[in-house]
Amino acid sequence: MAADNDPESEVFEITDFTTASEWERFVSRVEELLNEWKLTENYVEELSPEKGAYISGSWGEQSQDVHFADFKFYITHHFLKEECKKNGKGEEDTLPLAMQDLLCMHNDFPPRAHCLVRWYGLREFVVISPGANCEAIISESKCNLLLSSISMSLANSGCQVPIFVQIQQKWRRIYAGECQGPGVRTDFEIVHLRKVPSQYNHLSGLLDIFRSKIGCNMLPLPPVDITIRYTYILQDWQQSSWPQQPPDFDTLLGGEVGGVEFGSLPFGACEEPISELHLATTWPHLTEGIIIDNDVYSDLDPLQAPHWSVRVRTADNLQCLLGDFITEFFKLCCRKESAEEILGRGHAQEEGQENSDISSALSKLTEPAAPVPLSKLSVSSMVHSARKHIRRRRHIDESPLNVDVLNSILLYLFPDAAVEKSSGKEKITQSHFFRTSEQEKSSDNNLFLQLKSAPSDSLTYRLTLCLCMVNYSYGGLPAVTHLWQEFVLELRYRWENNYLIYGLTTGSPDLRCCLLHQKFQMLNCCIERKRGRDEARKAQERNGDGEHKASGGKASGTTTTKEPSQGKSWDSRSDSEEEFFECPSDQGEMETFQTEGEKDSSRFKAEGRLHPYNNMTLLNSTEPLYVPVTQEPAPMTEDQLEEQSEVLAKLGTSAKGTHLRAQMQSACLLSDMESFKAANPGCVLEDFVRWYSPRDYVEEEVFNEKGRTVLKGELSARMKIPGNTWVETWETARVTPARRQKRLFDDTKEAEKVLHYLVMLKPGDLACHLLPCLLHAAIVKLKHEESTENIPSVGKNIQQATSQANKLLHSVNYDYKRLEDFINQLVTMERVITEARSLKAKFAVDEEENNGETALELQKVVTSLLEEPEVVVIGAGQARIGRIIHRLFINAQRAALLSPMDEDLEPAAESRKIPDFPPPAGREILLRTCVPRPAPYSKALPQRLFCVLMKDEFRLAGAFSSDTSFF
Amino acid sequence: MDEDVLTTLKLLIIGESGVGKSSLLLRFTDDTFDPEQSATIGVDFKVKTLAIEGNKAKLAIWDTAGQERFRTLTPSYYRGAQGVILVYDVTRRDSFTKLENWLNELETYTTRNDIVKMLVGNKIDKDDREVDRNEGLKFARKHSMLFIEASAKTKDGVQCAFEELVEKILQTPGLWESDNQGQKVQLGHQEQGRGRACGGYCSIP
Ligand SMILES: Nc1nc2c(ncn2[C@@H]2O[C@H](COP(=O)(O)OP(=O)(O)O)[C@@H](O)[C@H]2O)c(=O)[nH]1
Ligand SMILES: [Mg+2]
Repeated sequence: MAADNDPESEVFEITDFTTASEWERFVSRVEELLNEWKLTENYVEELSPEKGAYISGSWGEQSQDVHFADFKFYITHHFLKEECKKNGKGEEDTLPLAMQDLLCMHNDFPPRAHCLVRWYGLREFVVISPGANCEAIISESKCNLLLSSISMSLANSGCQVPIFVQIQQKWRRIYAGECQGPGVRTDFEIVHLRKVPSQYNHLSGLLDIFRSKIGCNMLPLPPVDITIRYTYILQDWQQSSWPQQPPDFDTLLGGEVGGVEFGSLPFGACEEPISELHLATTWPHLTEGIIIDNDVYSDLDPLQAPHWSVRVRTADNLQCLLGDFITEFFKLCCRKESAEEILGRGHAQEEGQENSDISSALSKLTEPAAPVPLSKLSVSSMVHSARKHIRRRRHIDESPLNVDVLNSILLYLFPDAAVEKSSGKEKITQSHFFRTSEQEKSSDNNLFLQLKSAPSDSLTYRLTLCLCMVNYSYGGLPAVTHLWQEFVLELRYRWENNYLIYGLTTGSPDLRCCLLHQKFQMLNCCIERKRGRDEARKAQERNGDGEHKASGGKASGTTTTKEPSQGKSWDSRSDSEEEFFECPSDQGEMETFQTEGEKDSSRFKAEGRLHPYNNMTLLNSTEPLYVPVTQEPAPMTEDQLEEQSEVLAKLGTSAKGTHLRAQMQSACLLSDMESFKAANPGCVLEDFVRWYSPRDYVEEEVFNEKGRTVLKGELSARMKIPGNTWVETWETARVTPARRQKRLFDDTKEAEKVLHYLVMLKPGDLACHLLPCLLHAAIVKLKHEESTENIPSVGKNIQQATSQANKLLHSVNYDYKRLEDFINQLVTMERVITEARSLKAKFAVDEEENNGETALELQKVVTSLLEEPEVVVIGAGQARIGRIIHRLFINAQRAALLSPMDEDLEPAAESRKIPDFPPPAGREILLRTCVPRPAPYSKALPQRLFCVLMKDEFRLAGAFSSDTSFF
Repeated sequence: MDEDVLTTLKLLIIGESGVGKSSLLLRFTDDTFDPEQSATIGVDFKVKTLAIEGNKAKLAIWDTAGQERFRTLTPSYYRGAQGVILVYDVTRRDSFTKLENWLNELETYTTRNDIVKMLVGNKIDKDDREVDRNEGLKFARKHSMLFIEASAKTKDGVQCAFEELVEKILQTPGLWESDNQGQKVQLGHQEQGRGRACGGYCSIP
């Protein structure tokens, strides 16, 4: 072992250690670490650390486990990270840095540092403390054993960084330590008591201890540098009590719950977020005799202290509403139960598997017997009467979500249901609704795209907020499940009765939004198509049979008989094989323009023309080339799309696979070709290609027989390949207008697929799907609240959080751990904003008497208090900020000490009786000197005593150096 | 073989019909040119594993049709793509002027904004050129794209186009490391790659 080989170790007498070998192992292990950490290369710092370096600089630490027999210790190296360490041996008699630091005046009372830094002013040290589950070092012999070990390690390694051992119970923070230098040594020792002994309860008593400890009995007394710091705590915020009342969730006022509206998130703390204000008043560099502080009299008036600083303590576990809302909702995401498991079998069944029967039964009940145009009816009366039926059938008391709450929410989610009668009015509200959102969007900066949520006025977004509120205040998971079922029921009702779902942009699903939003949009697409079909059919019936005659033709002749009857048109679940694509009637079919001349009666009559194409004529006749009315391609949601591309990819990359892929996708091509043929009787593939893929029709100028240049066109080489899919498809294409083709998009099937998906969705998965919307709403809320407070750090954090959320929410599988961290960030931001609000109220930042400049100064203090551990009050008690703080204390004192009756007294008279400040909660007294020890002829070395006096703590942390060269 | 594949990348080839998208892809995957290649219907799909600086990347490349009518369908394939190759035909000016439309569509439908884009001017073997190289260069610079001229027929620039695109994707942090991709391999180099011998190649990051 290293220690064995080291001749120096024999310098120390080892007499009574039965565990000698264990002990040696320990000593050498510590030495190893000191070497590893390069603490043995002593460097010379020419300057003492800069003023404030302990605050502005950052602290580092590195730790290792060390064992002493089977006892585990942590050994940790703490150090101030400095720009550059100057290496190199110092002169022989330079004091170790730690000893120099004992006397350094630049960094007293660092606000955020290890306690040993505060007590001893150290910038670098090593601590050995018992491991996590190990008992404390209490017995004196063990302490001594450890101390002699470190003494040994220090001596062996020549390390000048002090090492401490933590002894006694952890909470007492008692350390014993040692620092060695060439011919010098400092011993660090701590006294810790529960009560301040009365003889030491003031400066003069403490000075006495200090002197006796350094054994300085010489005359004249060496000058002792004294620094004193008193801390006053303000806890009572009588005069500026926290303004926000916790919302009352028990009262429900039209669309509003205890001040929180549906569709908005609550914000703020329910209690005072700032629990304490600490004022530290400091008197640096005093010398004895300048001030008097003994058991009968004290000069130390905080108002006169030359240095003031304040810090705030924020409430632990502060309950903030926004954070609570999100956290509770987030918890839903990992629930695995199905709706049935949550609500119980009977309930779920009624709503779940059978709900289609119920709702269709209900729609029969509410369906007018006579065919009254549906648009003339109030949707609301129908929707809501439908719901009443359901509720009556269910055991009312057992429904997890209160009926009134449910109704208000549904009305909020589907406001069109409340609109009376005329469909015109319906449009008005709708447009108004979207107008407000336009403004919001511009400021919102398309946040929904970044977060893959949904637009902030969409049904999806509003649903999320409602579910979140229901979860938080109206019954948790069961209520969420209940609301969801009612919601899906409403969607089914709308599908079956041709009402568009309100609050969704029309068109194919927006793949940039969350999947659920896409599903809703998909359902709306289905409703729209079905509506269009029904309307077209009705229009057809009104127009009589002229239409039917016109559509007579070889290829399409039989289809007329298959035209569904009116009765059937109401039944959305007819066999999809028989469903035909119906063009909306307003897409003006152009049969009327058709060949009036009827030159060629052998031709079919043209059908399904949209408009002539670029003045072109067919190649084989003089007829204009018409663009046909075509079927819209099928809209898809992202999961369907993924499924489809997976199928396509699975076909492989062989020629056969490629061919199959083309065939699978040629349905749309076929439909277009058929429509084209119907619109352009007598056309050829070349005609089709000229419209559909113009680059594949190559035109060349050639000379004809007469020597004139004419344009001669032909299909491109690739189109001419025999048997290619285009030619193949063209050959199989029949002459059928889109109107009579098989639907490319089976809205009935797709709608049922969506509804099935929604019904089967587990509430936990529902929460996951909606999480982006909630986080979106939360960020918007935070942004809004921050903008009124203007806290730069929060503003910046929101920006960062948004881009982080962008990544988190776009990945296929959510990373729940990171999402949780993200939510905690949001929670923290909310807390900081409420803290800022509270501080502003206390410092009266917004009060009128404070003019612009003062307000600005106050604002700066508030911001600093939130961002820095401690803030210096410029001008101490005599300047503006100081006076405001002073007033806060006076008010609190009066409130605390005056009985209500006394309040009538003359203010002047009473203020004399009541001290402005409470007794200091903590007193710190720091004594420093440089005297020779142990003998008057020894070298003069740094001596320091740091005293802490509190109500239930008395601590003396002493560092006493002595000259070892002659002993 | 598959174990040492670093990542799977989704690439997309877009541009007007007939500019040679399918031919470029065929040249890249099979190193052939097929004058009998039929016009794409909807979307087509090919895979190829590419080794870049010792790292293997599996490329899933989606080829699109380009005709107006198919366009309603193809934007859905933009989803999740890390790279896109936008092709025009240097002998057809109209295929060049339509580029703006393609970029707009790309902007609208891609889910991420850090997608790497490459502009390819194809068919440089033909002598009836209508679009000057500098025009392509200018366009690419304006839209922060990689740019190269190529010929699927003579294979000029084809391999290089795909390689550079993939390399650029691999250099873009956060673009290709998906979280279900357990192993994250740090690439040997991050910055270099610019000076690689590659005729006619030009990058405007
Ligand atoms: N001369 C020449 N012809 C090409 C080149 N690339 C493609 N072509 C031809 O251009 C036509 C269209 O090519 P294709 O790859 O199908 O185009 P896409 O519609 O963009 O996929 C075909 O006839 C090809 O043979 C090329 O680099 N040079
Ligand atoms: Mg192609």
